Amino acid sequence: MAKISPKNIAKAVYDATEGKSGQDLAFTLKRSVVMLHKKRMLGKADEILNALQDIFDKKTGTVRMKVTTAKGIGYGEKNRLEHEVKERFKAQHVKSEFFEDQELLGGMRIEVGDEVLDTTYKNKLHQLERFLIQGK
Amino acid sequence: MPNHIVENLRKEIENFKAVLKVEKTGNVLEVFDGIAKVSGLSDIKSSEMVTFPNSETGVALNLEEDVVGVIILGDFSKIKEGDVVKATGRILEVPVSDSIIGRVVNAIGEPIDGKGAIKSNKTYPIEKVAPGVITRESVSVPVATGIKAIDAIIPIGRGQRELIIGDRQTGKTAIAIDAILNQKGQNMICVYVSIGQKDSKLRKLQARLEEGGAMDYTVIVSAGASESSALSYIAPYTGVSIAEYFMDQGKDVLIIYDDLSKHAVAYREISLLLRRPPGREAYPGDVFYLHSRLLERACRRNAKYGGGSITALPIIETQAGDISAYIPTNVISITDGQIFLETDLFYKGIRPAVNVGSSVSRVGSSAQIKAMKKVAGTLKLDLAQFRELEAFAQFGSDLDDSTKRQIERGKRAVEVLKQPQYSPVKTEHQVAVLYALVKGFMDDVPVDKIKEFERGLIEYSERNAKTFYKEVTESKIWTDKGEEQLKKAIGDFKESFNK
Repeated sequence: MAKISPKNIAKAVYDATEGKSGQDLAFTLKRSVVMLHKKRMLGKADEILNALQDIFDKKTGTVRMKVTTAKGIGYGEKNRLEHEVKERFKAQHVKSEFFEDQELLGGMRIEVGDEVLDTTYKNKLHQLERFLIQGK
Repeated sequence: MPNHIVENLRKEIENFKAVLKVEKTGNVLEVFDGIAKVSGLSDIKSSEMVTFPNSETGVALNLEEDVVGVIILGDFSKIKEGDVVKATGRILEVPVSDSIIGRVVNAIGEPIDGKGAIKSNKTYPIEKVAPGVITRESVSVPVATGIKAIDAIIPIGRGQRELIIGDRQTGKTAIAIDAILNQKGQNMICVYVSIGQKDSKLRKLQARLEEGGAMDYTVIVSAGASESSALSYIAPYTGVSIAEYFMDQGKDVLIIYDDLSKHAVAYREISLLLRRPPGREAYPGDVFYLHSRLLERACRRNAKYGGGSITALPIIETQAGDISAYIPTNVISITDGQIFLETDLFYKGIRPAVNVGSSVSRVGSSAQIKAMKKVAGTLKLDLAQFRELEAFAQFGSDLDDSTKRQIERGKRAVEVLKQPQYSPVKTEHQVAVLYALVKGFMDDVPVDKIKEFERGLIEYSERNAKTFYKEVTESKIWTDKGEEQLKKAIGDFKESFNK
């Protein structure tokens, strides 16, 4: 029998809980946890939850964005970024997280799924470093 | 002076344009023995290059449902869990240019000989589909290796794949090196791919090639014994990509893979680490394809497609002479013949220790020049008969005259085919000596004086059979006039030699 992956379990849990609420949902989730315990897969809980979130995001058209800047950005700019991402990924909802990291020196790093747009000064300096090394 | 440096730097920086683009990334989940398991990297292609934070590169080899198995080409000790991995969108490629000739590069085409960077503005992918049937042409031009036993009995043609197989310490590399040394002035570029060899051996080899002036037309690609198996795995593909660059210019290239046994072992290591199912001798199921796709890239292209050729001399090391092991049988079936070297012959002093009976060239005879064909026609048969009779003669002393004659001729043939290392013999000289042998001129020369006779004959005939040499060297023809002149020169020389 093929190995059960966290993705398989997440898909099964999602299918089993879809459209349920209240006690029904709580009961199904409890059964799922018991099943994971029996199959000794509780150690993979994090991966299963991540996979479950991915499935949920896909179904609801949600895109998660992570923005890191050297200094905080204003409300207007945040809105503009969310709008841009919504357009680009044809998403219905955008869930954003904003972080500050002074090491980036300037610019911003936007992460959506496994796609990254890095306009930070730190990245540009790295590119310049590589360019100068290769040019010699 | 500092102003000058600052000015140069300023100019360089002015030329720099930061590239802003959306990149596909992933994260390192595990790193072990030169392998990284990476999450993310959706849409990545097989054999696509990825970069790690410390500028190390890797190649995506295993594309699984949730993770990508990446082989790391370089120092993997600095890569840690959680590091960001970027997809480049490019299949693994190596920089190529004419200035790579004379250089020693590593498996990813970077110079390692301390002679500075190699300027190149072109890259070739290391994995490429071999040229198709329409673009190919039959083998018809010889590769002169300068080794009598090979050029006469197991001839190699341009575009052929001839395996050199034998146990350790039987002179496999020596044949390859002699073949490279003899390419001087033959309009051939050589690529020597060293896989899992000791650095000291490579250094010695490079010095030998430099001494013989062979580095003027040779490129060395090295994946040393101390480097990761990932580099050993890609080194032959890098070598053949460099060879293809020259073939695409219509040039003839000779490529040596030293050796493919270590290549198969490196691939086995990678495959087992990537958890691919092991098969016979724990090699993965696609180990045949590993070598067949590499050796299929050796070919001779027809004039319509630019001409040029790649002749491949793969080397396989056997264990205790077992040519029926998995990798040797695979490579024997892929190549167009094999040169089989034997330990027993080597220790008997027959060097190169070529076992004429087990060695074969399937397509090379059509590439032999007419003169060589004429003189070497019966040599293989004579030698095979001699080997049988030699064993038989050990049991009885009463032999008839014709058997005795055959044995004596065989002894002299073996002596003629002996050749010290690094002393290739020109084709025309080989023809003259073999003619003297097969026509019986050496039958009454004592065996221990054969070498002396050979040396003298070459010198004398060169002076006294000019027409013959001119015909063989320039027009590659064999005429009765030339033959008569050679016959007379040999007869005259023999008279003076006997005195």
